[in-house]
Amino acid sequence: MALIFVRTAIIFFTLLIVMRLMGKSQIGEMQPFEFVITLLIAELACIPMADTTIPLLYGVVSIVAMFILHQSMWLLDMWFKPMKAIVCGRPSLVITKSGIDEYQLKKNNLDVSDLIESMRAAGYFNLDDVYYGLYEANGSFSALAREQKTDSLAVTLIDGGKLNAHNMSVCGIARETLDSFLREQNAKLKNVLVMTVDGSGRVYFQKRGQPYKILRMAVNEKW
Amino acid sequence: MVRAVCLTLAAIAACIAFFLTVDLYLKEQFAQFGDAMETLCEKTENELANEGDADAVRMMWADKKRRLQAFIPHNDIAYVDYRLNEAFSYISTRNFPLALANLEIVKKMAGTMPDNYRLRLENIL
Repeated sequence: MALIFVRTAIIFFTLLIVMRLMGKSQIGEMQPFEFVITLLIAELACIPMADTTIPLLYGVVSIVAMFILHQSMWLLDMWFKPMKAIVCGRPSLVITKSGIDEYQLKKNNLDVSDLIESMRAAGYFNLDDVYYGLYEANGSFSALAREQKTDSLAVTLIDGGKLNAHNMSVCGIARETLDSFLREQNAKLKNVLVMTVDGSGRVYFQKRGQPYKILRMAVNEKW
Repeated sequence: MVRAVCLTLAAIAACIAFFLTVDLYLKEQFAQFGDAMETLCEKTENELANEGDADAVRMMWADKKRRLQAFIPHNDIAYVDYRLNEAFSYISTRNFPLALANLEIVKKMAGTMPDNYRLRLENIL
């Protein structure tokens, strides 16, 4: 029985480490250790239930092990604050007044499109609708919104140095127009972290390692 | 907070006590069964074993099995059952060499089985 307990604990800590390494993209509204427990409890309860060759007690011991591990983690969080950062991680500030922090995104295994998706889910449809944006330790997105939000949907044209041909055709922007725009900004495609354009022609443009700029370009206002 | 600490410590203490009890229990049950197998093996080796001896061991195993099923995988129990039944059928036909072969397997299993569930590195990995 002690064997089952130790094996459960090993799986628990392995999953916890893996979840922490995977970053916030894999968690979604739960602390990493809560997510690990959710993953394990279902299986631990299911296997002895379905497989009659395994004593039911094995499932019970594993679940009790999970309970003890959960309580221990929680108590460690309470008593030793750095433990919380180690186990649950810290919030990551991904949007600052200078724009997107690519390093923080990469650290959490996220990219610009994930960020834009999170922003849309939080009700912000343009990257400069917020002063600050951050991923909480549980993977949820929080933002300090600007007083005035833009009223047009921004479409991503360049994401992490890659061109989004589909969005360009949706916006009715020709490749030549974009190339000349990039030349004006003295930027190569691969050096552009993000470029979005909204229906009014307002462009959010950020080169890697530089602050973002708000520019304008001619669009057909189809959206 | 105090309640949570007490609850956690109580759960840990209960688990440790339970694990030790189960460990000792398994060791004792298999030791008793191993002794019975040892005796039956000796009798079989001397060609003195009869159906009465086999039935006595069968009943002893049946009694232990009922309780052991809570603690060890049922496949392991089924394997002991299989070997024992084979040995008993050889004893009833007085085929002692084959009966002995099966009984030796069961005896060996009775000696090694508790170790399979003990907290050891090779079992954890």
